[in-house]
Amino acid sequence: MPARDYLGEFEHIVVLALMRLADRAYGVTVRQEIEFRTKREVSIGAIYATLDRLEAKGYVKSRLGDPTPERGGRSKRFFHVTAKGVAAVTRTQRAFQSMSEGLDLGFVRS
Amino acid sequence: MTSLAHLDQPPRLAVWFINLFTAHENAESIFGDLLEEYSYLASKSGVTFARRWYWRQTGNTIAYLFGSGYRAAPWSTTAATVGGFLLHRFVSGLPDKLLSAVTDRYLAFWSAHFNAYIWVLKAMMSVHLIASLFVGCVVAWAVKGREMVATITLAVVLCALIGSAMVWVATHWPLGIVWMLWLFADPFAIVVGGAIVRTRRSAAITQAKHG
Repeated sequence: MPARDYLGEFEHIVVLALMRLADRAYGVTVRQEIEFRTKREVSIGAIYATLDRLEAKGYVKSRLGDPTPERGGRSKRFFHVTAKGVAAVTRTQRAFQSMSEGLDLGFVRS
Repeated sequence: MTSLAHLDQPPRLAVWFINLFTAHENAESIFGDLLEEYSYLASKSGVTFARRWYWRQTGNTIAYLFGSGYRAAPWSTTAATVGGFLLHRFVSGLPDKLLSAVTDRYLAFWSAHFNAYIWVLKAMMSVHLIASLFVGCVVAWAVKGREMVATITLAVVLCALIGSAMVWVATHWPLGIVWMLWLFADPFAIVVGGAIVRTRRSAAITQAKHG
């Protein structure tokens, strides 16, 4: 069986947030997007620790933007998902789908 | 996001705490992000709310960075902690050995100047603290980038040992518990040593960056 790397729960959420935000993805927007969609409070430390891990695995890449006055002259660090990252998300999603197929999870359908 | 709230700065102590745990390459982005959200919240919901939010972020961020810092290099951090523990065992015994050697050598002098001897005994507490501070500095120096992770881990180990000893003492000599509370100053001094090294390193890196 080939070695396949699946994303962890929070890694999965962060990568999906990056994909939703596209070129607007940096610490603040990623944190707010996750809080808005998952309704759970997330710290900026959790976001950066996860993004660093994902960057080390080659799933995301980052670049520095221009310094802005509302940030005290500090730059934004923008992130985007690489092709390898997209493949990892797809793999993880498929694994979830495959595992939940045929199970009655009691989802409330609207 | 424009208002007078921009003039208000986040709690300096919280900023310093985060700086102790943040990797240098992430520091600019993390502080920029926090300041941006802080300014927005201060203008929207008031400075008190924004400060409370900043402190909550500080607590959660430190907890997360501590955990991820340890997971990033578990072996070197554990090695530094074990090394620090052994060094602390060695160094913290030295002042007492020195004192008993001096006492034996100049017994007649101390008998004649008993007040001075009491003063020296009290000064030994400070010497112990300095020894722990030294150990904290050495451990922090050995693990660049994870100074606080290693020193806090060592401090937690020492606190656990002191706590166990206190339970034993409490069953045999309850009054001794009060005296033993002083022992918690040692782990605290170790963490302070780590914070000193970390702060100096951060300052040196910032200075190098800005020429």
